Order: sequence, then C-alpha cells, then structure tokens
Amino acid sequence: MSESPLSQSPSQLSQANLAEADDTSEAHAISEAHAASEAHARSESTVVLETEGLCKYWGGVKALDNMSLRFHERSLHGIVGPNGAGKSTLLNMLCGTYKPTAGRIIHNGDCINDIRPYDFARRGIGRGFQKTNIYPQVTCLENCCIAAQRRVGGSFNIFLPKNSSQLLEEMADQALAQVGLESRRDEIASHISYGEQRQLEIAMVLATAPSVLLLDEPMAGMGHEESQLIIELLKTLKKDYCIVLVEHDMDAVFELSDQLTVMVNGQHLITGSVEEVRDNSKVKEAYLGQGDEVI
Amino acid sequence: MFFLKKAENWFVWIFFPLALLLPLFLEQNEFYVNKLTSVVIFAMFVMSLDYLVGRCGMITLGHSMFYGLGGYLFIMIAPEYEAVNFWVYTFYICVIAALIALVVGVIVLRTSGIYMIMITLAIAQMCFYFFSDSVEFGGNDGLFIFTKPDTSLFGLSFFNLDDPMHFYYFCLLSLFNCLVFWKVVTGSRFGRIMEAVKDNPARTTALGYNVFLFRLISYCMASALAAYAGYLFALQYGYVNPSMMSWQTSGTALVMSILGGMGSLYGAILGTVVYEGLHYTFEHLTQHWLLLMGSMIIAMVMLFKSGLAGVIDNLVERRK
Repeated sequence: MSESPLSQSPSQLSQANLAEADDTSEAHAISEAHAASEAHARSESTVVLETEGLCKYWGGVKALDNMSLRFHERSLHGIVGPNGAGKSTLLNMLCGTYKPTAGRIIHNGDCINDIRPYDFARRGIGRGFQKTNIYPQVTCLENCCIAAQRRVGGSFNIFLPKNSSQLLEEMADQALAQVGLESRRDEIASHISYGEQRQLEIAMVLATAPSVLLLDEPMAGMGHEESQLIIELLKTLKKDYCIVLVEHDMDAVFELSDQLTVMVNGQHLITGSVEEVRDNSKVKEAYLGQGDEVI
Repeated sequence: MFFLKKAENWFVWIFFPLALLLPLFLEQNEFYVNKLTSVVIFAMFVMSLDYLVGRCGMITLGHSMFYGLGGYLFIMIAPEYEAVNFWVYTFYICVIAALIALVVGVIVLRTSGIYMIMITLAIAQMCFYFFSDSVEFGGNDGLFIFTKPDTSLFGLSFFNLDDPMHFYYFCLLSLFNCLVFWKVVTGSRFGRIMEAVKDNPARTTALGYNVFLFRLISYCMASALAAYAGYLFALQYGYVNPSMMSWQTSGTALVMSILGGMGSLYGAILGTVVYEGLHYTFEHLTQHWLLLMGSMIIAMVMLFKSGLAGVIDNLVERRK
C-alpha cells in the first residue's frame, strides 16, 4: 500500500497508523497503542447520534432487535455484518425512511423518532444510498445545487430564478471540491464514471451541510483504485463529520473505522475498536469464518 | 429571457406572430375565429396538464374536472343578470379552484403512478356525475351564461368579450402569459426542486425537502390555470356543460400533451394545434375520421419519441 498524502500530515498520526497497520508489525504495535489512547479520547468526545433499544419488526420478522449504539463527533463508526443482518434497516431508521417499532433515536439530545423524514436532513443527518441515487439528467453542479438550495432558502419561490444566487453556486462548488470532482463540474451526471457518481453522491450529502453522514456501502461495485479514492476521501471527511459507514469491504472498514459494530441477524454482536472486534472469537465464528487470518 | 432554448425561441417567434395575423385573413368568417379561439383556450388547459405530467411526474386523468369547474364556478358565484367584473371573477375562480385542488390534492397526492391516475379519474367522474345529474346546474344540458362579465379595469375598457376578434386576441395574450408563467416557474428555485422531485423523490426527501408540499403546490397552480381556461371557454360560447368535465376531455388533453412532447410546455400548444388541425381535416374528409385520427396519432407517437417539440429540437440542433 502506498503512503497516502494524508498519512503524512502530522495531525493525523493515529489515522496514518491505522492505515499502515497492515504493512509492518512495528506499525501494528504503535497503532494498538494509539487505538487505546483514541478509545479514551472518544469516551469524552460528544455523542451526536444515539440509538436506545431500537427495534424494527416486519410482521413477525425481527429485522433489528434492541440496538443501542452511540455515534461520536468527528469519528467514523463502521457497521458490518453478513447479508440480512439489518445494517441497511438501521441506516434507514437513522435517516427517517423507516419508523422504529420500538426504541428511540436521539440526535443532539432530542428524541427524533417522530419527526418527518425530510426533517432528518434539516437536522443535519445526511444520507447516501446503497444504489447510486443522483439526478442523472443534470450536471454535477446542479446536483449539488439541488442539495444546497435548502440552506439558502427560497425553494418555494416560484418567481426567483434558480441561478440567481452566487452563494448557492459557491456552496455547490465547495461540496464538489471536497470530494475532488471540480473537473466534472459541468458534466451531466449520467456521463461520469460509476466511481465518480458515488463521489458525487457524497458531495450532494455534504452540500446539505450535515453533521452526521450515513453512508450505505459507498464502495459497492467499485474497482480497487476507485475504492481507494473513496477511502482517502472518508479519511479526510471523518476529521469534520460523524460518519456512520455500512460497508462490505472489510479491508476498508478496518482501515477507516474508529469504532466498529458487528451485527448478525438483527442482533448487536459487539461494538469496539477495530482490534477488539478483530480479536473477538464470536465475530470470527459468526462472520469472518475461516481463512481470514491475514487480517 | 424566458425562452432560453433555441427551439423554444423559434417556436415562439413563429407561432405567435402567425397567430396574431391569422384572424386578419379570416375576418369575414366568424366560425374560424371561434375555432381558433377554442384551440388557443384548450392549449392553455393542455399546457397546465403538460406541466403536471411532464414537469412534475404527476399523471392525472382528472384534470378536466378543473376545466369544467372553471365554468361552473362562474355560474355559481356570479349573479345571473348582472354584469360582474371580469378581472375580479378571474381572480375568484382561480383562487377557489386552487383551494379545491388543495383539498383534492391532499387525497390524491398520497398516491402516485397508476394509482394516482385511477383516483384522479374517480374524483373527476364523481364531479362529472354530480353536475350532469343536478337539477340546479342544468343536468346534462348545462347552463347558459346570460350576462357576460364586464372587462373594465380602473374604469377603462380595453376590449369587449362579445366581439370574437377581441376575445381571440385576449385568449392569445393569455396563452402567451401562461407560457411565460410556466417558464418562470420551471426556471425558478421552486422549479429546480420540482424537477428533482420528479426525477427522484426518495433522494429529494433525503436532502431535506418536503416532497408532498412541492407536489401539492404544483397541483394547485396547474388546477387554477386549468380552471382559468375553462372559464374562458365558458365565456366564449356563453354556456357550461358537464361534458367539459368528462374523462374524454382529460384524455384528449393528455394525448395532445404527449403529441406535443411532454414537459416541453410549448409542445402543448403544438400538440393542441396539430391535433385540432387533424381533427378538423379528417372530419371533413370522412365520417370515420376517428379511425384516421387514431392511426395518425399512433404513428406520430411511435415516430417521434419525444413528441413534436422533440422533432423541432432536433431540427434546430442539426442546423447548428
């Protein structure tokens, strides 16, 4: 693995160590030490989003059962589990698409179970979808303008020309710059590559100025290089946002997560640092199976 | 300024001057002027439907309800033998129609796609049978408007509703205003989000927009303008009839909108003119004109995937 420009930044020592953890045993030892100090720091950092005994039943099927999790500011919380573990269900409830059967979702101290789906985004809970979910007919810039327009207002004004705001365009440009898509600014969204579309989707979420980013498999269906791009992007983003990442790519999750939750059959198995999860025998048994001694 | 697309510009510059000049050659023949007027009025109605279907993704088969209501509302609220002010009643009718659309919309917009088609159709049919069975509103025969409204504005009267030529030019101006209005709406911030709602409602909700409210506002606006078209239609011939509300009216308007190119707005004018033109020609050719008409429309829809507006777009593009 080549060294990323990011890992050279002195302020990001801990992440750099995590990133290099696969390389050498020396780095591995340091990273463990850092993980410990990080875990300590985390217990003091603010909880942005929290679930308390969250349940979702589809008739008799328990898609999600008694899930209590805490998502911290400026950190990335990975959620893994086999297919059907209820990861997407959890994410869908965190962003208001599904209503919980029982339990509470708490954002910045308020219970937000009963607010409308669109209010989740207004509160700063932004969501990326599992399948690419953009507006394919319009340009990348316009995609971000749609997302950012809620912040400038005037969305119900039928007489205000849409391109009248410099501020709006700047916001959209900024979001595109954050994910590194400036060069694709004026291209139609359906004409850019799949990986870029996934980046665009993240840019759209960023354009809404969220505090929490819920990402559902942003690396699904991507080649190695494209995934690497997203990993680098998420590393940068987790400095500023609380990110909840559902992902199948285990290497990526281990590399990125500050905290990791493993789910099986709608049940919570374990939450902890990457090392804790990695070494847990229950996890190996339930999810990783044999042949994973590499990690 | 409002017509940014080249093809649109071309169309506006060709159609409206032509429409302005045409009656001068037909002055002796009131029939043709009246015919043109009803085409222009219907184009307004089709345009509002075109906005709903093409720009908002809300397919409705009950839009004729508002077209008919435009006429009936006038009869309901205006005194029978007293000339009322045209502008004031235009305002009343649009506002009342929008309020009715608000109530209907709250029910209808909970559904989408085929279910929305069915529920709008059901509501429109309910309304149709209410008026066609009611004694007070003349049942199947409809009612006459005995006194046409007075068009004076601040004491000045610009035109006379009884004069077909005046009325034609007024309707043409209304059509132009409608086109400009819809262009402004689609080019506004509201229009941007409405477009987003049409393309991807789930994504738009996730971005924090109240999709339902956007749809409802669009529905109300389109209904108000449909009622306005119906009001003008009622004034033209001086009577209202439940057939204005029949589902055939909605269906015809939908065909015109598809023929013209859904969502292109100016295509609504194109579609209406071509449809009515074909209708008129075939009607004079043969008794079985519907047969010709049907095959013609099937052919056109199959040949021009994005309607006549799409053909013009292509021509203009190729010229460049």
